[in-house]
Amino acid sequence: MDQEIGLHIDLESERLVREEGLDLQEARRRALVAFGGVERYKEELRDGRGLAWLGGLSLDFKLGVRMAAKYPGLSLVSVLGMAAAIAVGALVFGWAAAMLDPALPLDGGDRIIAVQTDRADAPGDVDQRVLHDFVVWRTALTTVRDLGAFRLSDRNLIVEGGGDDGVTDVVAVAEMSAAGFRVGRVRPLKGRPLVDDDERMGGAPVLVIGEREWRRYFGGDPNVIGRTVRLGGTVHTVVGVMPDDFRFPRNHGFWIPLRLDASDYPIGAGPPIQVFGRLADGVTFEQARAQVAAIGRRMAAEYPETHEYRRPTIVPFARTAEPTASGPELTWLLYMIQLGASLLLVVIAANVAALVYARTAARTAEIAVRTALGASRARVITQLFVEALVLSAAAAAVGLSLAGLALGWIDQLLMQKGPGLPFWFHLGLSPGMIVYVAGLALLGGTVVGVAPALKATGRRAYGNLQQFAARGSAMKLGRTWTALIIGQVAITVAVLPVSVHYASALLRTSIRDSAYPAGEFLRARIALDRDEAPPRADSAEAAAYQRRFEAHFASRADVLLKRLGSEPGVDAAFVSDFPGGELQRRFEIEGVQAGRNAAGGAGGEKATVRATHSLATVGFFRLFDAPVVAGRGFVDADTVAGSTAVIVDTAFAARIPGGNVLGRRIRSVEPRRVRAGNDEAPAPWLEIVGVVADPPSTTTDPDDIALPNVYRAAAPSGLGRDDAQATSILLRLRVRNGLTPAFTQRLRDMVAATDPGFQLHDVRTDAEVLRSGARELRTFALALAFATLSVLLLSAAGIYAMLSFTVAQRRREIGIRIALGADSRRIVSSVFKRASTQLGAGIAVGLIVALALDRATGGMLMGHLSADTVGLRGAFAVIPIVAAIMMAVGLLAAIGPARRGLAVEPTEALREE
Amino acid sequence: MPPRQQTDALRGSLDLLVLKTLSLAPMHGWGISQRVQQLSKGTLEVNQGSLYPALQRLEKDGLITSEWGTTDNNRRARYYRLTAAGRRALGTELESWRRFAAGLETVLRTS
Repeated sequence: MDQEIGLHIDLESERLVREEGLDLQEARRRALVAFGGVERYKEELRDGRGLAWLGGLSLDFKLGVRMAAKYPGLSLVSVLGMAAAIAVGALVFGWAAAMLDPALPLDGGDRIIAVQTDRADAPGDVDQRVLHDFVVWRTALTTVRDLGAFRLSDRNLIVEGGGDDGVTDVVAVAEMSAAGFRVGRVRPLKGRPLVDDDERMGGAPVLVIGEREWRRYFGGDPNVIGRTVRLGGTVHTVVGVMPDDFRFPRNHGFWIPLRLDASDYPIGAGPPIQVFGRLADGVTFEQARAQVAAIGRRMAAEYPETHEYRRPTIVPFARTAEPTASGPELTWLLYMIQLGASLLLVVIAANVAALVYARTAARTAEIAVRTALGASRARVITQLFVEALVLSAAAAAVGLSLAGLALGWIDQLLMQKGPGLPFWFHLGLSPGMIVYVAGLALLGGTVVGVAPALKATGRRAYGNLQQFAARGSAMKLGRTWTALIIGQVAITVAVLPVSVHYASALLRTSIRDSAYPAGEFLRARIALDRDEAPPRADSAEAAAYQRRFEAHFASRADVLLKRLGSEPGVDAAFVSDFPGGELQRRFEIEGVQAGRNAAGGAGGEKATVRATHSLATVGFFRLFDAPVVAGRGFVDADTVAGSTAVIVDTAFAARIPGGNVLGRRIRSVEPRRVRAGNDEAPAPWLEIVGVVADPPSTTTDPDDIALPNVYRAAAPSGLGRDDAQATSILLRLRVRNGLTPAFTQRLRDMVAATDPGFQLHDVRTDAEVLRSGARELRTFALALAFATLSVLLLSAAGIYAMLSFTVAQRRREIGIRIALGADSRRIVSSVFKRASTQLGAGIAVGLIVALALDRATGGMLMGHLSADTVGLRGAFAVIPIVAAIMMAVGLLAAIGPARRGLAVEPTEALREE
Repeated sequence: MPPRQQTDALRGSLDLLVLKTLSLAPMHGWGISQRVQQLSKGTLEVNQGSLYPALQRLEKDGLITSEWGTTDNNRRARYYRLTAAGRRALGTELESWRRFAAGLETVLRTS
């Protein structure tokens, strides 16, 4: 367009030079005049293309950016506030998307399925003893190709040869049908995948490894094919290396053939397996489901005893493992959290809207002029909306980047934490998330821009035109805004103590933990490989096998403990290892009723003390140099089953009223049973035989750290008694002259030498545990501080904007009052009266809410901490500080305009009227 | 805002002039304005600035098309040419213009 018009001007001026003898400059001027304003026609041309609205919109955007730059403080606060909310929303979205919409990152991964057998008699249960069904499906299920099965176990990996003198580690192994490799459609990096022939009983033990494992355990040896490694007791030959794209079925890098013969087991029995396959071309889920259900009905008719309640079905493979195997409840929960996160933005945006409203109110004159010049209401609202959209779009960009970084970080952290997560669980940015964030930006822009715009362009806008010259803004601040400010202050006052309390509790915890020589301590979980062929499903035989296995485990553990103890400078002990760490219990103290114990409940209930309950071998206290301050330590006799000896720490002793602790009896009670009146079979009474000074706690949960401890002694074989929940035992080691990596290796060697079937899991020093715990705490405390600070910042900004606006509005009134001889002190006090009323009301409401919250959640949300420590009560001390900050901000906001008001010349003020 | 009918009449006659000129030979914008002036022996002068919106409108209606070419002096210029639809439109426009002019003439002659 420019070129065309340029040519026209050129040709015309040349004609003028040629025909009228003008000089080139004059000719050009005349040509431009004749054309009649190039820009106007360019615009007309643009209009002709139907892009007029774009021109207007891009102008609005320009104005919006300019407006944002003109009020940097307001823009910064709005963008940061909304960015935080959008980041939270995007984080939740990313998490929910990974949970709810998992996709296998394999070729045609959405058609890879699992054949899952639900139990009609136990909804939610999946029956995995389907070896015989699997055999039937393999021939009868024509809608699914490459049907295969797998089962998972942990094995000791021992790599010999190479430069090293052997690597020992516990690895996750998949025993899998060769079909698993066909289903993934991934070509091996080296060698071959497993093939059907490998599944033959008695075939040579072969192994396929993953790329990661190849680099880690074999140093990327190019001649790895043909090398041998030991898995548990069996030597396997490596026949292939799979690239990192292939981690099927969960997150595996060791695959051995699945060798099971259904004829070894009765119908409906056998080892648990999981069955997978790929939908045949052109077959839908429904068709496959219908076929497998029909087969299921046939088998139920044929074998009613075992198959009556089995309901085989087809599910997407990605739905078969946690955390993506979500039920409808979790889906709802995630949607609710998502909704909550989105609402957070609305709340923050409403705040920003209040700020923007003050700015918009100051622009009523501009809006009135624009309206008078023919701008429609929609046009003005669009402009204000676009201005807000500039802010919310910037916030969206910041929020999305933050969320992307955070998700990437979490993703990496989860990967580091071990192979627990399936390979398809991935957190990160996704197109869906970008759409969601764009939607949030629109939502934020709407709340921030449209609400003030509607108010500013209401019917009064025309009246404003008459008035603005004489009276300034005629916009009034409604009750809504007053309510908003009061609510704001109230929320700040109510929320701050709780978050300050939590943040300080977290920080105290991490400080307290650093007190003992954590560098000398080491912990590891010990389990024993179950490498033997599983017995037939005959129950007596299985029980005998289990007993044999446990006895073997205990005797080997005993040997290991003695060996470790004979090492110079090394103390070792076993502790019971419960899922999720130590076990919390409530203990009833014999002869103590409620009312005499600070920690007890009300009414006629038994007073109880919550404590951490641990089973440990005799040497446990020696490990920590924990002195026995009363009574005695553990002796071997205490480890006998049926012994009632128990040792408590000084924290527990302090809760026993009456002072005399030795010989008192306690017993564990379930919290439920305390309420129910304790009529079920009670736990046996235990006698306190000793008190130890508090051994250090290595838990990082602030709720657990303050708990007293109760210890019982056990032999390694007894660590699983009393609670069948103990799945493995925890080895605690102390090396007096400090831990070295060499010692860790020596430990592995000693463990392997004691029994090659021993598995060492999660070998970590206490220092590492504390460090990572402290890091988590710090991150959490930081996030809390950030959230708290943004609440404070936003409410401070809101109060500032509102007050400075109201005072500015009264500037003329103040001037007139001064002209009429009013006392300036009275004027100042009248200015501050409204501010203080609103602030005071906010603080009062906040206080009430905070107290109500404390009352309502005293025993639940805050846990025992609020009762045991001054924590929350102490945190209420911050309320006056918050109130003072709010007041200071409010006064600061009022001072400037008030001073300007006082400085107005009375004559000027009167003239304006 | 000026009355709309007047602009429409003006636009109508400008369109007719452009179509007529282009029916003789493909031409660039400045050429069209020169040719109109030349053919009318100086009595009609195309408002040069309104010419381009008119060209754009006609092109949008499918009556003319345009393509980039070079002038005799080897300058890049956009050349406009009549389409078949444009040729038909020229016929009907001419017809209606003649009827309009005759009608106008008749009215003006009546004293």
